[in-house]
Amino acid sequence: MTTPKPTGPPDGGWGWVVAAAGFAVNGLSYGVLRSLGLAFPDFAEYFDRNAQETAWVSALALAVQQAASPVGSALSTRWGARPVVMVGGILTSLGFVFSAFAHSLLHLYLGLGVLAGSGWALVFAPALGTVSRYFSRRRVLAVGLALTGNGASSLLLAPALQLLLDNFGWRGSLLLLGAVTLHLTPCGALLRPLALPGDPLALPRSPLAALGLGLFRHRAFLVLTLGTALVGVGYFIPYVHLAPHALDRGLGGYGAVLVVAAAAVGDIGARLLCGWLADQGWVPLPRLLTVFGALTGLGLLAVGLVPVVGNEDSWGGPLLAAAGVYGLSAGSYAPLIFCVLPELVGIGNVVQATGLVMMLLSLGGLLGPPLSGFLRDETGDFTASFLTCGSFVLSGSFVYLGLPKALPSCRPASRPGTPPPEMGELLPVPQIALLSPGDPHSTLDTTC
Amino acid sequence: MRALQGLRGPRAPSLPLLLLCFLAAVRRSLEDGLSTAAPFTSLPVQEEMMTEYSNLSLESHNLSVTAAPITSLPVKEEMMTKAAPITSLPVQEEMRTKAVPIISLPVQEEMTTKYSNLSLESHSISMTERPNMPVEKNITLERPSNVELTCQFTPSGNLNSVNVTWKKGDKLLEDNYLVNTTGSILYTQYRVAIINSKQMGSYSCFFGEKKQQRGTFNLKVPEINGKNKPLITYVGDTVVLICKCQDCLPLNWTWYSGNGSVQVPIGIPVNDKYVISGKHANETKLKITQLSEDDQGTYWCHAIFELGESEGHVELVVLSYLVPLKAFCAIAAEVVLLVAIILLFEMYTQKKKKPSDDGKEIEQGEQLKLDDSNGIENSGPRHRKNESVGQ
Repeated sequence: MTTPKPTGPPDGGWGWVVAAAGFAVNGLSYGVLRSLGLAFPDFAEYFDRNAQETAWVSALALAVQQAASPVGSALSTRWGARPVVMVGGILTSLGFVFSAFAHSLLHLYLGLGVLAGSGWALVFAPALGTVSRYFSRRRVLAVGLALTGNGASSLLLAPALQLLLDNFGWRGSLLLLGAVTLHLTPCGALLRPLALPGDPLALPRSPLAALGLGLFRHRAFLVLTLGTALVGVGYFIPYVHLAPHALDRGLGGYGAVLVVAAAAVGDIGARLLCGWLADQGWVPLPRLLTVFGALTGLGLLAVGLVPVVGNEDSWGGPLLAAAGVYGLSAGSYAPLIFCVLPELVGIGNVVQATGLVMMLLSLGGLLGPPLSGFLRDETGDFTASFLTCGSFVLSGSFVYLGLPKALPSCRPASRPGTPPPEMGELLPVPQIALLSPGDPHSTLDTTC
Repeated sequence: MRALQGLRGPRAPSLPLLLLCFLAAVRRSLEDGLSTAAPFTSLPVQEEMMTEYSNLSLESHNLSVTAAPITSLPVKEEMMTKAAPITSLPVQEEMRTKAVPIISLPVQEEMTTKYSNLSLESHSISMTERPNMPVEKNITLERPSNVELTCQFTPSGNLNSVNVTWKKGDKLLEDNYLVNTTGSILYTQYRVAIINSKQMGSYSCFFGEKKQQRGTFNLKVPEINGKNKPLITYVGDTVVLICKCQDCLPLNWTWYSGNGSVQVPIGIPVNDKYVISGKHANETKLKITQLSEDDQGTYWCHAIFELGESEGHVELVVLSYLVPLKAFCAIAAEVVLLVAIILLFEMYTQKKKKPSDDGKEIEQGEQLKLDDSNGIENSGPRHRKNESVGQ
C-alpha cells in the first residue's frame, strides 16, 4: 500500500467550494435558529403558553448545538467530516419534521431543541474545521466568509419564513423548514476529505481520545480555552440585550433597530475585512486575536456607559458608534478564534479543537445572558450588565496574552507573506517525516 | 390618559357655563319667545328633579372652538368656586337646581326615578362657520348611562339669528336640549339617558337654516377584535379562536359560523366538537376539535351588551397535510439529486484523473478518495489541477 503523500492545504480550488459549503452550513444552522423566533407567537397562541416558555425552544436548541459540538468533532475525527455532516443534516431535518406534528410544547422542545440541536452539533464544527484545513494563506478570509453565512441567511430566511407562516401555518412551515435544512446533507457531500501533513496517522482508539481531550495538555490550548471561556460569557450578551438596552437608553423602536443593525453590519463586514487583513500575515494571529478581543471588551464597556438619550427621535449617536465598534471588533474576533487553532494544535487536530472551542463558548453563552438579566433586574438598567460582560471579555483577552506570539517577540518577525505555521509549534516535533518541499516551515520562535 | 384629562377640561367650565347658558336662555326665550329653553319651573319642583337626577352619570359633550370667555364674568367666578368637579354629587345637585334640562315634568320624574344610578358621560365637539366642515365624534358606550352632548359654535355673523336644531338620525328632536350663548359662542347641549339599543346611533346638532353646520356624535357599543389574518390549520387538528375587546365587559358572548351571508349559531346543541370558554369576561374562546375541510370559513363572535351587540370575526383555513407534504417531497427529491450529482461528479473526476496521471494519485483503502492539488504557496487564483490535466 503506497503511503499517502499529503501536500498541504490547497489554499484555493476546491477549497472555495468547501468555503461555500461552510457558508451554507452556517446559514442553515445559526441562520435558521435565529429566524425561528418568528414562529414563536404562533406557538404561544396554539399551545396557550407565554413568550418565555416558547423562547426556551431556541435556547435549548442553541445549548444542545454548542454543548454537543465536541461529539460532532469527535465523530468526524473517527469517520471524516463528510459522513458526519451528512448524517447531521438528516438528523436536523428529522427534528423539524417531528416537531411539525407536535401536540404539546414538550414535543417542540424535543424535536427542535434536542433533535435538531444535535443535528446542528454534528454539522458546525466539522464543516468549519474542514474549511480551515483547506486553506493556509487565505484561511482567515475563507473562515470569515463561511461565518457570514448566518447573517445572510437570516436576512433571507426571515421574510421567507413569514411568507411560509402566512400560507402554511406553523405546522407546514416547520415541515418545509425540515426540507430546507435537509440541504445540509449536500453541503456535507461537498466536504471532500483532505489528507494533510500533520494528520495523526492512527485513528483514535477510544471515543474519549477522539474527543480530543488530550489537547488540553498543551499549554497554548489551555490558555486559549481559558481565555475563550471568559470571552464567551460576555460575547453573546449583545445578541440578547442590545436592543432592550437601546430602548432603555431612551431610543424609540426604530432607533433600537438601527443600533442592532449597526452592530450586525459591522459584524458581517468585519468578518470579511479582518479575514483579508489577517491573511496578509503582517501581524501574527494570536496578537490580532488579543487586540480584537480587547477592542470587543472596550466596545461593550462603551455601550454600557453611553448616556441616556434626550429624546426618543434622536439617532442615538454615541450608542450607535459604540455598537458599531462592538460589531466591528466582535466580527473580527469570530474568524480569528477558529483560525488561531491550526497554529496551536496542528492542522490535524483542528476539527476536534473547533468542537471544544464551541463547547466553551456555549458555556459562556449559557451563563452570560441570565447573569446580564439578573444584573438588570437588580440595578434597574443595563449599565452593570454591559460593564460586567465587557470586563469578562477584557479579562479573556488579557489571558490571550499568554498565547505564543501574542506579545511582540524579541527575535525579528518572520518575513511577511509566509503562510502561517501549521505544525503547531508547541506540539513536539511531529512524527511525520515527510515534508514536501516548499511546505510552510514550522517556526519555533516564541516570546523571548 | 391625556384624552380623559381633555374631557375633564371642558367639564369644569361647563357647570358655570350651564348656569350662564341657562340664564341667557331664559332671557332669550323671554325676549324671542323661543320655546326651546323654557323658563324655570318653580324651584321646589326643580330640586325634586335634581335629587332624582343626582346620581345619573353625566355625559356632557361640548363642541367648542374658541375658548369660552368664561373667566371674564364675576358671576361666573362665583359660580365656579361653588362648582366642584362633576364627580361630587351634592354640588352638582346644587348646580342643577338652577340649570336643568327642561322637559315636561311628569316625563322627567319618570325618567329620573329610573335612571338615578347610571353613570355620566359628557362629550363635546366644536365647530366654526368657516371652514364649513362637518365634525364627527365617536363615543363608545358599554352600559346604560346619562349622556350630555354639547356643541359649541362660533358664527361669523349675528349669534341670535342662528337656528339650532338636534336630530337623531333623520328624526328631529323636540326637547331635552338647551341653547345659550357666551360672548360670541353659541352653546347647545342635549341630554339623554341611554338605556336601550334603540337609543344608540347618531345624534347631530345643526346650526343655521340655509348653510347648515353639522356636528355629529356617533354612539356605539365597544368594538370587538377577532383576527385580521386567517388562521391556518390542518385536517384533524384542534384550533382555538379568540375574540377579545379592550376595556369592555360584555354580558354574554355567542359564536356563529358564517357561510356567505348566513350566520349559523354554534354550540347549539352542545356537543364535543365546539367548546366555548373564556378566562376573563373581556375575551371568549371557541375551541374546535377534529377539524375537517368543511369547517373552513369565517366565524363570528358576538358580544352582547345592554346597549346592543358588537361583533368580530376570525377566518379559519383548513388545509390538508398533502399541501405542504408535496412541497416537502419535491424538495427532498431535489436534495437527493444534488447529493447524487455531487458524489457522481467526484467519482467521475477521480476516474478521469486515474488513467491520465500516474504516480501522483493515491487511492486509499477506504472508499473516500483523495483530492490531489498542490498546496504549495502560490499566490493568485488557483485552478484545480485535475481540470488542467484531465482532458
